[in-house]
Amino acid sequence: MRLVSLRFVYATLIGLVLAGIVHIAAVLAIPALSEADAVSRARTSENLDHPQSIYTVATGDDPSPPEAWLPIPDPAVAVGVCAYNLADGPMRVSARTGPLSLSLAAHARRGAFYAVTDQAAVRGALDLVILTRAQYDEALADDDENDPSRDVRIVAPDTRGFVVVRVIAGLPSQRPAANAAVQAVSCTTDTSTDDAPTGKDAAVKDAPGKDGPGKGTGR
Amino acid sequence: MKLTIPDAFGRVSMSAGAPRSRAVRFVRRLWRKTSIAGLAVYALALGALLGLASADWATSGGYPFGGVQVGAWTAWPRAGAANADPYTRAVNARRGEIPLAVGEGLLLTAAVDDAGQALDATCTYRIGGATPPARAWTITVAGRGPRDPGRAPLREGFTSTEVLRAPDGWFSIVLAPDVQPGNWLPSPRATGPVRLALRLYDTPVAASVGSLDRSSVPAVTRLGCAS
Repeated sequence: MRLVSLRFVYATLIGLVLAGIVHIAAVLAIPALSEADAVSRARTSENLDHPQSIYTVATGDDPSPPEAWLPIPDPAVAVGVCAYNLADGPMRVSARTGPLSLSLAAHARRGAFYAVTDQAAVRGALDLVILTRAQYDEALADDDENDPSRDVRIVAPDTRGFVVVRVIAGLPSQRPAANAAVQAVSCTTDTSTDDAPTGKDAAVKDAPGKDGPGKGTGR
Repeated sequence: MKLTIPDAFGRVSMSAGAPRSRAVRFVRRLWRKTSIAGLAVYALALGALLGLASADWATSGGYPFGGVQVGAWTAWPRAGAANADPYTRAVNARRGEIPLAVGEGLLLTAAVDDAGQALDATCTYRIGGATPPARAWTITVAGRGPRDPGRAPLREGFTSTEVLRAPDGWFSIVLAPDVQPGNWLPSPRATGPVRLALRLYDTPVAASVGSLDRSSVPAVTRLGCAS
C-alpha cells in the first residue's frame, strides 16, 4: 500500500511538471494559433487600397461602429488597418498630414516593429515602404544615385502583418474629419520593382482621398 | 477539471450504484492493481488539464506582467513592443488588441484610487493634476464586460483639447454617477468596478517610463460614495 501511494505521489509530481511544460507551450503557441488576433482579423483588408476602418469614432447620431473589434477602444481616436502580404510585393503607405495628429505603426505577429507620427512628415507627406530583406536589397540596388528615393524603407520581420493608422479627434467636431483622414491614407502594393508606375498610381489614388477631410462627410 | 480527472479511473465512479462495501473493495483492488499505465494516464491527464487551464487563466484577463506602477496608475510601456513578454503577446492575440507602439503613445490604466481602494461606479472621484508631457492625451472610463444597452451613452472620456482647465492649466475631472459642474465624467454603469485609462499620444515618456512619478500623473481621489 505504501509503495502504491509513493508511486501515486511520483505520478502527481510528474503531472505537475508536465502541467508546467504544457502551460509554457500553450502560452507560446497562442499568438501563432489564434484566429482572433489582429493580424488574422486584418487580413480581409489585404486587397483594399485604403485602410479598413476598425474603429470609427462616434459622430453625432451614429454612436456604435459595427466594425469595431478592438476590446476597449479610445472613443476619440479613429483607427484603421491596412494588412499587407509582402509575398505580393512591398507595401507603400502614403499619408498626407492634416490638422489632426496622425500616427502610423507597423505590426507583425510579434508586435509593433515601427511607429511614426505625422511630426516626422517631410513637406506634409509621410511615405513608408514596408518590404522584406530581399526586396530591400533589390530596392537599394535599383536606386538611382542622382535621384535617391525619399521613401522611408522598413524591413518587416514577417511577410504578413498590418499597418495601423490612428487619427486623434481632439474635439467632437473633428470626429468626421478624423474618420475621413483614416480613409484618406493610401496603402498600395508595389507590384513591380521600378518605382515610376507605382508612384503615379499612388498619386492618383491620393487625389480623391485628399478631398475627403475637406468635405467632412465622414466617409 | 472535475469531470475529467476521474477519467483516468472512470470505472471507479461509475460503480457508485453498487453497495458501498463492495464498491470500496473494488476500489481497493483497483488501487492495488493500478499499473504503471494507469499512473501514466493520470499524470498525463493532470499535466494537460492543469497546463491548459492555467494558460487559459493567465491569458484571459489583462496583462499579467510588464506594468509599471505610478501612483494609482499602471503604465504598460511594452504592451505593443516587438520584444513584449509571451504572456502579453498571448493576451493581445486572444483579445484582438492592437496595442500602442512605443513611438505612438503609452497606455496607463487605473483600477484603484490613490488610497488603494478599488474604483466603484457608485462612488465619486476627482481625477486631476498634471499629466506627463504628451502631444495629446485622453482619459476614458469603462466598466467590466460589455456596455449596458439600456444606458444612454453620454460621455466616455475627455481629451486634452476639450477638457476645461483652471487658469493655472491644471484640470479636474469628476467621475460621478450624478451630474456635476465642470468636467463631469458619468459613471459607465450603475454598480460594479470601473477602470480608468489614460492614453498619452506621441509622448517621450513611452521610452522612459522610469522617469514618471506620482506627481506627474493625475491623482485619483475618492470624494464619497452614494451608499
